[in-house]
Amino acid sequence: MIDSVPDTPLHQMAAPAVKAVGKRRSPSARRQQRAAWLFLAPACVMVALFVLYPIIKSISLSFYNWDGMTDKTFVGLANYVELFHAPTFYTALKNNLLWLLLFLLAPPMGLAIALYLNQAVAGIRLVKSLFFAPFVLSGVVVGLIFSWFYDPTFGLLALILGHGIPVLGDAHYVTFGIVFAALWPQTAYCMILYLTGLTGLNADQIEAARMEGARGWALLWHVVLPQLRPTTFMAMVVTIIGALRSFDLISVMSSGGPFESSTVLAYYMYDQAIKYYRYGYSAAIAVVLFAIMLVYIAWHLRRLLRNEH
Amino acid sequence: MASISLRGAQKSYGDHQPVIRNVDLEIGDNEFCVFLGPSGCGKSTLLRMIAGLEDLSDGELRIGGKLMNEVSSAERGVAMVFQSYALFPHMTVFENMAFGLKLAKTPVETINKKVGEAARILQLENLLTRYPKALSGGQRQRVAIGRAIVREPGVFLFDEPLSNLDATLRGQTRIEIARLHKQFAAASVVYVTHDQIEAMTLADKIVLLHTGKDMEQHGSIAQVGTPLTLYHRPVSRFVAGFIGSPRMNFLNAKVAAIHGDGVQISLDDSGEMLTVAVSGAKLTVGQAVTLGIRPEHLETIATGASQPQTLSRTVTLIEALGELSYLHLNAAGEAPLIAKAPGDAVAKVGDTLTFRAPAALCHLFTEDGFAVPHLETLP
Repeated sequence: MIDSVPDTPLHQMAAPAVKAVGKRRSPSARRQQRAAWLFLAPACVMVALFVLYPIIKSISLSFYNWDGMTDKTFVGLANYVELFHAPTFYTALKNNLLWLLLFLLAPPMGLAIALYLNQAVAGIRLVKSLFFAPFVLSGVVVGLIFSWFYDPTFGLLALILGHGIPVLGDAHYVTFGIVFAALWPQTAYCMILYLTGLTGLNADQIEAARMEGARGWALLWHVVLPQLRPTTFMAMVVTIIGALRSFDLISVMSSGGPFESSTVLAYYMYDQAIKYYRYGYSAAIAVVLFAIMLVYIAWHLRRLLRNEH
Repeated sequence: MASISLRGAQKSYGDHQPVIRNVDLEIGDNEFCVFLGPSGCGKSTLLRMIAGLEDLSDGELRIGGKLMNEVSSAERGVAMVFQSYALFPHMTVFENMAFGLKLAKTPVETINKKVGEAARILQLENLLTRYPKALSGGQRQRVAIGRAIVREPGVFLFDEPLSNLDATLRGQTRIEIARLHKQFAAASVVYVTHDQIEAMTLADKIVLLHTGKDMEQHGSIAQVGTPLTLYHRPVSRFVAGFIGSPRMNFLNAKVAAIHGDGVQISLDDSGEMLTVAVSGAKLTVGQAVTLGIRPEHLETIATGASQPQTLSRTVTLIEALGELSYLHLNAAGEAPLIAKAPGDAVAKVGDTLTFRAPAALCHLFTEDGFAVPHLETLP
């Protein structure tokens, strides 16, 4: 029986098979690839239709003068020239930067609250849901609540301080006032992300660290935070995006005023398009905002791709 | 370097029944103590109480003579190797091992020296810059041990350290741990396992723990002793049944006569008479008892002439392991009687064989589960 096995060395027998795999995919691999493309197709179509097409359309529109009704006229870079000479554009840019910087307080504040809420005490569920509440509210509601809060005649702030400060009426305070209101739901959002992250912590590692003498800040810094890195990344992503597309609170609380001092790029764009019927100019603002976001998106994608490999 | 002493230690969660009851235990300097027991007996909980990861609900814990009930884990001078190894995934092997020293603000040269030394002993020198995810199970295990070693603790705690390794590696690492213990002679070791081979081969002292009803009745500790004491002189039917594989055979019997050199019993199912070398001082004739005899102590002898001190049984099943064969024999009890025979024995199913049960190797248990004391003490 044993004699019937051909006396070929193992590596010679295996060689042709290895070559075939290297050159051409097996039928099952081809089938799998086809299935992968089929699954990807709906998403690709959607992205092309609702993301790529509007981007291209906006870029082309930004070279035209158009009020939405009469014919478009090609004006070349005139929209951009006007934009870079408009003081409001720089106000909006500065405010966007301010939003971005102040909004980055949301992840650490969310983490602090999550750490505080991450304990087994009776009634903690109720407290958690109270902290969770602002995240559920719509931006308009948050805006209204804070408008009343800041109101110099009957607002809670005036009651606390004893005298009214027109936060939303003062060009120096208005952006801070709106960002503070926006931080409320954003912190709640980050808190939820961190609470979820905290439940996934490896208890053995925490105990091992405790046995090694780590506690308090050292434990948080060396063992807990590294384990929460994916959560922190996620919290940063949603916060940065949230800061760059801030619009609803500004619209409700100040309409970009007073004297356009609290406007941001997204609101400026809306203002020019909807109130002044300047679609070409507003498209140019959109392109600039897109270019700013692109820097961030590129960084984000690079990170994602690197993590995959 | 550090002895451990538990006095009346109890553990209960909330208002529930205690999971650890009445533990009085002394673990000496340099002793290798193994907590052994069925799952759910609280052996890991007891270890975690020593580590300071669980509080004692009652009683006291001393390490090196000092009361430790309220002392934090880091200050107890103990180091623990976790079942999951609990290595920090974002730190290299070196950083993992240096972590505790770094937190203690040890000078860099000292850290380098100590970690280097531990890495040399554990053959981790080439892996110091790697991250845990790039290590094999056995290597991770060694890093976990290394992290414990560099702190030069008085007590090493091991929580089922080998259960995540495959069989070959488990055997190797077992020997490795025994070797390390010799090398770090100053430290005592507490080692939790459910594997009795690990317990028998590693331990200076085994602590066998009860579970469930036995724990409620008799406290958590079933027996404390050297491995061979637990094997040869189990104090109860539970210990006798837990140590040894396949487990000890138990046969119901009645006391027939009490002599100076042992107790004669008659088996309930066959009426065969056997003498067991135990003290009959507290027994009465006619009392119901249980005979215990290990499979390896049933010795096959030539069939035929009815000899004293023998059992005749029919083979119902043979498990041939090569080196040995387990002969399953018919018995009236719920479990078959099992005898170990040499692998080259030529028994067949249906054969009736005669086995000798040496009087000194038989055990006798009273109805409350306790062993009747043997006449001979162990050498």
